[in-house]
Amino acid sequence: MADESLEPNEIGHEKAVGEESMPEESVAAPPRETAAAAELPAPVEAAVAVVPVAFVEAEIVIEPVTASIRLEKKHPLAIRWMHWVNFPVLFTMIWSGLLIYWNDSDNAYQHPHAVYRVGVGSVTLVRLFPEWFWKAINAPYRVTEGLGYHFFFMWLFAMNGLLYVTYLAWSGEWRLMVPDRKSATEAIQVTLVDLHLRKGLPVQKKYNGAQKIAYTAVVLMGVGSLVTGLSIYKPTQVHWVTTLLGGYEMARWEHFWLTIGFCGFFVVHVVQVMMAGWNNFRAMVTGYEIKKVDEPSIEAERRTW
Amino acid sequence: MTVEKLVEEQVQELDAQVQRESGRRSRRSFLTAAVAAAGGYGFYRWIDRSPGDQLIPRPLRKALNLNEAVTRTVFDERGLAPTYSLAKAEELRVNGIYGLKEELVPESYRLQMVGVEQANKFPQYVSDVTAWEYKYAAKKDEGGKDDAASGNHDTKVAPKTEGAATEGASAMKMSPAFEAAFADLKKSQGSKRPRGQEEAGESDNTLDAGTPGLLLKLEDVTRFEHRELVTQFKCIEGWSQVVHWGGVRLADLIAAYPPAKKADGSLPKYVYMETPDGDYYCGYDLNVCMHPQSLLVTEMMGRSLGQWHGAPLRLHMPIKYGYKQIKRIGLIAYTDMLPDDYWTKLGYDWYAGL
Repeated sequence: MADESLEPNEIGHEKAVGEESMPEESVAAPPRETAAAAELPAPVEAAVAVVPVAFVEAEIVIEPVTASIRLEKKHPLAIRWMHWVNFPVLFTMIWSGLLIYWNDSDNAYQHPHAVYRVGVGSVTLVRLFPEWFWKAINAPYRVTEGLGYHFFFMWLFAMNGLLYVTYLAWSGEWRLMVPDRKSATEAIQVTLVDLHLRKGLPVQKKYNGAQKIAYTAVVLMGVGSLVTGLSIYKPTQVHWVTTLLGGYEMARWEHFWLTIGFCGFFVVHVVQVMMAGWNNFRAMVTGYEIKKVDEPSIEAERRTW
Repeated sequence: MTVEKLVEEQVQELDAQVQRESGRRSRRSFLTAAVAAAGGYGFYRWIDRSPGDQLIPRPLRKALNLNEAVTRTVFDERGLAPTYSLAKAEELRVNGIYGLKEELVPESYRLQMVGVEQANKFPQYVSDVTAWEYKYAAKKDEGGKDDAASGNHDTKVAPKTEGAATEGASAMKMSPAFEAAFADLKKSQGSKRPRGQEEAGESDNTLDAGTPGLLLKLEDVTRFEHRELVTQFKCIEGWSQVVHWGGVRLADLIAAYPPAKKADGSLPKYVYMETPDGDYYCGYDLNVCMHPQSLLVTEMMGRSLGQWHGAPLRLHMPIKYGYKQIKRIGLIAYTDMLPDDYWTKLGYDWYAGL
């Protein structure tokens, strides 16, 4: 991923006079030139090309020539690494979890499991999962493989998650991610726009309200998976945790539905990333996003801490 | 050339610079990403293709052992399992009948104990515990039917009834003259029914002929204080049930028949148990066997144990998964070598601590 030793300055901003002190609001597209500029004599044109700085001559104001786009640092290196490490690790946890869980849904005709069903009261709509599903994913009789991977990769999942949360706290990046009072309203707006029920997105910061809620929730779900997982893994030694979660079977139920939650998050996340386009996706690899100069700056958002 | 045009060209040039910079960064980042992805895949391949250690790739086995070490360090297995009210208890489902497939004649039951301190001082001492012959009842008509059909045992694994039962059965039905001749024949063959007839095969800890030890009757075990527990039984398959258990503490038995100390005065680290036919076997830490909730069970739900639950004596150990709670215990041996374990051989964790 990108070399962090490069200049932190946003590429594309030619040094413009007074830029450093320019308040954020004024970034909004100034007219590139005045009407009088067309009457400028030739030598001045040359000067503009060579020295693209603001200058005043004969009361004609020429704005500095800058690129119309810039590269903006969106995702820090640590976040990109941990994001991508988490992807195969969480996949392995879910996959190995399915291999383990198959063993309980096996011969359900004889001992119907009480835990993973969808239903109301005593009416069961569906037991998870049907036989064809297990066959399709080739899960049957691979329990020991599942247990082996699950109890190996749990360390990677936990350590990566712990590092991620620590990094967010230490760097302050959490402020861009944790929802605030406006996030819920904004999330509704964003969702309506996504569903083509409304036009006009709210001003996009690093993350919009829906993203803030989703990304924070998925981190909390990760914590939940670790806690419920531990309470299932060592239900005697940490039986107080298991009891707090509502008992062993309840903890399993929670562990399972959190997993379904991850799968749901994954689907929405991938669809949204595809819709957001390459520039956005690339930023999760390179760290940088190409933005129009007049778009709100994430660096500016960071500076408001 | 107009200024607009000139400015526009400059902007385009500057934009191109930004794009070039972006491209440069992207190439480097995606190259790094590709190398990282290849590394990740290589890591997975390394695990998946590693030589097996008891049916799972060695790195996974090592991880299980690491988890065991961490658990020992953090918890030390001192914790007591929660207990429940009797009202919550239910009939335990039968799951796995290895070592139980023939019906043991109760009078022929003996608990072999090996490695007991000064064993020869006990009246139950014999010079060869392996010489004890367990007797099995004749196979019932369609033996499995009443139990299997009523859901009493797990039909995931079809019981091996053919062949396995014939020896015990024949011993009960033959004429005395033929029986004597057959007994001579068996003696000349050296051993009875081959041990370890299930998937995991014979245990490495199967006793050699001529192993001295104790042959305890059931009364020798049940004479200790009767204890009852209502605890949750947890199967590694995922299901769990609250069960009412009755029996004696394993710790009481061990106190009465303590392990022989080693030369340096320390105790052996492990305990090994197996069914009389050697088909099913488990290894334990000695300290886990001393846990106050480790119970030698003679009763479940207020009734004496049935065949499929391991009559006359089984283990309940709420700090371990069900596969460590061996049914129909024929042998308890103290040992300093990590004992063999049926399900460990088939890829499961040896420790299995909850």
